[in-house]
Amino acid sequence: MDKKKSNKLVNFVTNPKYLMVLATIGIFLVIYAAGIIMYGDKGFAKLRTFMMLFVDNAYIGISAVGMTMVLITGGIDLSVAAVASLTGMFIAYGTTVLGLDPVLCMAFAILVGVLLGLGMGALVTYLKIPPFVATLTGMFLARGVCSLISRESISINNELIDKMAGWKLYFMKYSGGEWVKIKPVAYINLNVVLFIVMIIIGTIILQKTRFGRNVYAVGGNEQSARLMGLPVDKTKMMVYGFNGFCSALAGIAYALYVKSGWNLALQGGELDVISAAVIGGVLLSGGVGYMIGTFFGVLLKAVIPSLITFNGTLSSWWGKIITGALVLLFVALQQIVMHGKLFKKKGTPHKKE
Amino acid sequence: MKGIEIQFPGVKALDGVDFSLRRGEVHALLGENGAGKSTLIKCLTGVNKMDAGKIELEGKEIRPTDPKNAMDLGISTVFQEINLCDNLSVAENIFIGRQPIRRGQIDWKEINRRSQELLERFKIHIDVTRPLSQYSTAIQQMVSIARAVDVDAKVLILDEPTSSLDNEEVKRLFDVMRDLKAQGMGIIFITHFLDQVFEMSDRLTVLRNGHLIGVYNANEITKLELVSSMIGKDLDEIFDLKRAAQKPDAKMMLDADHIGVPGKVEDISFNQKQGELLGFAGLLGSGRTETAEMLFGVTKMQNGDLKVAGIPVKIGEPMDAINHKIAFCPEDRKRDGIIGDLTIRENIALALQARRGMMKPMSRKEQDELADKYIKMLSIATPDAEKKIKELSGGNQQKVILARWMATEPDLLILDEPTRGIDVGAKAEIQRLMLQMCEEGMSIIFISSELDEIIRCSNRIIVMRDGKKAGELSGENCTQADIMRIIAGEKDGETA
Amino acid sequence: MKKSKESIFKSKLAWAVVAELLILLVAGILEPNFFHIEYNATTGMFYGSLIDIVNRSAEITIIAMGMTMVIALGGTDISVGALVAVAGAFALKLLRWDVTLYPTPGDYTIKPFILVILVPLLICTAMGLFNGVLIGKFKLQPIIATLILMVAGRGIAQIATNGKQFTTGYTPFRFIGQGSMFGLPFPIVITIVVCAAVMIFVRKTAFGTFVESVGVNPNASRVTGLKSDKIIMIVYTLTGFLSGVAGLIYSSRISSCDSNNAGVNYEMDAILAVVLGGTSMTGGKFSLVGTIIGSLIIRTITTLVYYFGITSESIMAFKAVIILIVIVIQSEPVGKWLATRQARRQKVGELRG
Repeated sequence: MDKKKSNKLVNFVTNPKYLMVLATIGIFLVIYAAGIIMYGDKGFAKLRTFMMLFVDNAYIGISAVGMTMVLITGGIDLSVAAVASLTGMFIAYGTTVLGLDPVLCMAFAILVGVLLGLGMGALVTYLKIPPFVATLTGMFLARGVCSLISRESISINNELIDKMAGWKLYFMKYSGGEWVKIKPVAYINLNVVLFIVMIIIGTIILQKTRFGRNVYAVGGNEQSARLMGLPVDKTKMMVYGFNGFCSALAGIAYALYVKSGWNLALQGGELDVISAAVIGGVLLSGGVGYMIGTFFGVLLKAVIPSLITFNGTLSSWWGKIITGALVLLFVALQQIVMHGKLFKKKGTPHKKE
Repeated sequence: MKGIEIQFPGVKALDGVDFSLRRGEVHALLGENGAGKSTLIKCLTGVNKMDAGKIELEGKEIRPTDPKNAMDLGISTVFQEINLCDNLSVAENIFIGRQPIRRGQIDWKEINRRSQELLERFKIHIDVTRPLSQYSTAIQQMVSIARAVDVDAKVLILDEPTSSLDNEEVKRLFDVMRDLKAQGMGIIFITHFLDQVFEMSDRLTVLRNGHLIGVYNANEITKLELVSSMIGKDLDEIFDLKRAAQKPDAKMMLDADHIGVPGKVEDISFNQKQGELLGFAGLLGSGRTETAEMLFGVTKMQNGDLKVAGIPVKIGEPMDAINHKIAFCPEDRKRDGIIGDLTIRENIALALQARRGMMKPMSRKEQDELADKYIKMLSIATPDAEKKIKELSGGNQQKVILARWMATEPDLLILDEPTRGIDVGAKAEIQRLMLQMCEEGMSIIFISSELDEIIRCSNRIIVMRDGKKAGELSGENCTQADIMRIIAGEKDGETA
Repeated sequence: MKKSKESIFKSKLAWAVVAELLILLVAGILEPNFFHIEYNATTGMFYGSLIDIVNRSAEITIIAMGMTMVIALGGTDISVGALVAVAGAFALKLLRWDVTLYPTPGDYTIKPFILVILVPLLICTAMGLFNGVLIGKFKLQPIIATLILMVAGRGIAQIATNGKQFTTGYTPFRFIGQGSMFGLPFPIVITIVVCAAVMIFVRKTAFGTFVESVGVNPNASRVTGLKSDKIIMIVYTLTGFLSGVAGLIYSSRISSCDSNNAGVNYEMDAILAVVLGGTSMTGGKFSLVGTIIGSLIIRTITTLVYYFGITSESIMAFKAVIILIVIVIQSEPVGKWLATRQARRQKVGELRG
């Protein structure tokens, strides 16, 4: 019995499907442990530091949920940051300049995000335009419209937004007969909740629904998926639409985070999102990837700037170089796993009987 | 069940073809490449739109709009190329699109259990939770058949299901087909293997150039009659192939001494004379293709010594082989052969251009002449040389690849399954061409799964088994049984 | 039937030309002076909007020459913008080698001056080679392999200049971007020379065919004896070199270096130029002439939009709309639809077999 269990474990670990995700988690843990050893005295080991990884990167994570799906279909979306920035602009301009209800602004922004996503999806699906080009056009459009609305950064002054941004759930401990906030204070806010909820929703969609499995099939071999009778076009449209939704949601989260809207906000943010997904083990050629991997990809990418801040002497662009190096490492790992020994075709095991 | 009728008047791809299938029948669909078999199937499965005619299933007219729709109507298909997603698990490939749902969620346990059961029927015992890409082509083929069979289909279409299976696997497939037949399923069976046609089918329908040639009962037609109805040529011509005569003074062309790539093929020794046709027989995965790829430098040879025309050589990449006047038509035409978006002319000129190097481009005139010469010589069916190669039929693509290598005027030509998936007529033409080239002094290594064509053409035959050379036979007086005994491991050693 | 496929390819080029002419027509209607070209006898130079368009498109055109082949190989190179910054940074570093000794941006340069040109070009070529090795030898995904330098490149540019923004007044250097020859702005002369050289290299040798072949089917190309990895490396190295040339022109134009903003979005513009020119993003057949026209289209749009008095950031929206129109017209299904309308009968014939 025991042996069978350990066999199962070996099987699980060596299954190339899971290997990338395990690598991400492993490297994150190693780096985090290294950080604790090096900067534990400065407070790196505190819960606050860990929770700030979530708080500061929730919007990237929310967007990465949609990006993961797009990447699994074998596509790419370069418009996510622009759409998020447009969302922020809608909220800022709508509430502060036009004095509209923030809920209305958010609903409108989400609607626009989904429609933009569907539009780009239609270009990709029905007109066979490469995702790279279609979403580049979407990015230009979103940024351009954003600049047409305003070229200035607009700060958001709205009660409800303040309330939403200010909502925090503190970690408490029981001490001296009453519950007190732990020191230094650690909390989660609405963005973190959104991030985690989206990761869970994403996981359920991908693993537990037919639609989710179709996403993998389309990324694995679109032609085959079509011949197997799967709704390829519908799947792709839905994925891009969902990604548009995630981008807009990320835009809301970012607006809550910085409480302003700016046409140049999140420049280059799409690369942050893509590299988080890649570091999380999503295969850029499609067909392979897990939400939990993306989750740790976001954390792994987030822990690096955090470490640099704790170090104090390194300049911030080292963060980018290390991110670049990590991407290189993971892509190299993917090459080894996918094309190396582990994924080689085995002989026909049943042949000799 | 009344059967199916299709008519396509006005369309030349299929011109008013009728076809009917009875319940519980295996009906073979035969014809050369481009005869319209695939078009017919594509109409049945809704991939192609029909311009005229109608399809009836159990008396009701149906109009499949896409494969999914056809499947819902009860028409299940296994296409010639494996159409699965190899990033997904074996089980998922069988059930995707129709996964059992329990409490709103996909029931993975059920999927895995039922897949395991299903594959047991094919006597395949594998871990169904592993990605499909980890398994061999043969297993992938079986999985795609399993998928098609498991759908509650009334009609099952098998398009060349056996082309990548070995004999044992074919037998298992046939067992399953008999089962299904007994359950009342109608099976349309497309294949190039005539023996299998006679073994399995009840009736045969022959198409040629989009026209219906005839419907026969399998027990009322001979093989020869069938072949002649398929290609409409004189039979004598086809089987009148004489092995190239061996010149006694021929020089040694190739001398391989214990060559190998660890893990793939090991310890291969053989030699080949000028003008000799050396056949390589063996099962799929026995190391035939691997040996060819090693000789041509597609995979790097790691052990042993190789002499070409008496001179020791090192072949690390295809260019080295080309420089030693070796040429190689690979097995997987689509993956390793054709450059789909380039024209026939460019495809033919490519290898010669690669040898001449980048800085010595061939003029357009040179390329045109070269292309025209080979289009004529190999009778490649195309309006002109500027057509994209991907628009040609399989047999014609193969001829273009052959032309590409003939243009380099090689001393040694390696042909890996050159006749696979092409029609009888083109097959005979390619065989004749091989023999003619041997007469002219070229050495040819000929790899094939079809024993009769190996025996018919080869001067000597090397039999491979499990990545090693299992035996060597003279082509003159060997029978299929001899080769099969070596493959089966009953007999070892050199009997040259 | 003979020209069925070729005509689609050619018509893509024709569409690009028509698009450019239409945009020019609109420009001519809105601004009658648009086509006016004037010769200034004292400076010996031609002036006018058209000259300006060609002049300003120089950087993108030059980069896009390399990008065309990168895309024909089925790849992308998103590091070109960063390489533009690298070239500028190193050139300016060499021009202002010892800032403390020569505090004013005067005539100082390290001797011989040619080093100021050669060293940046060499560095960019080496970076191009780095991309090429990653993609050709190690088979990394192009978008990810070049992402590494896209991020790290600007970091390297920062190191070179210590994060400072040097300016120079050295006349020979300023000539590159601001001088003139044969009455034409010097960047135009460079562009003509570069385009001619690339075209001769590609079409008068077999290199173009090899690139197309590898782009369509790398496996088969290798089996046919082509050294795909070498071809890939040459193409990416060439693109690196051309980005260096563009970087020198750019920094000479602004007499300065700007590691953060030099070449931003150049990769996008270059890719769009290629796609507008009719080369498919999926690789294969390519057209260098088409790319030149594509680059001119992008610049014409930009110039035209300036006439409306619209700010530079909002231009993106207009670019997006026009690009959208062009890619929709060029897209496969639309092209097929047009083709079937023209040649229904031929299609019927082709169905056969």
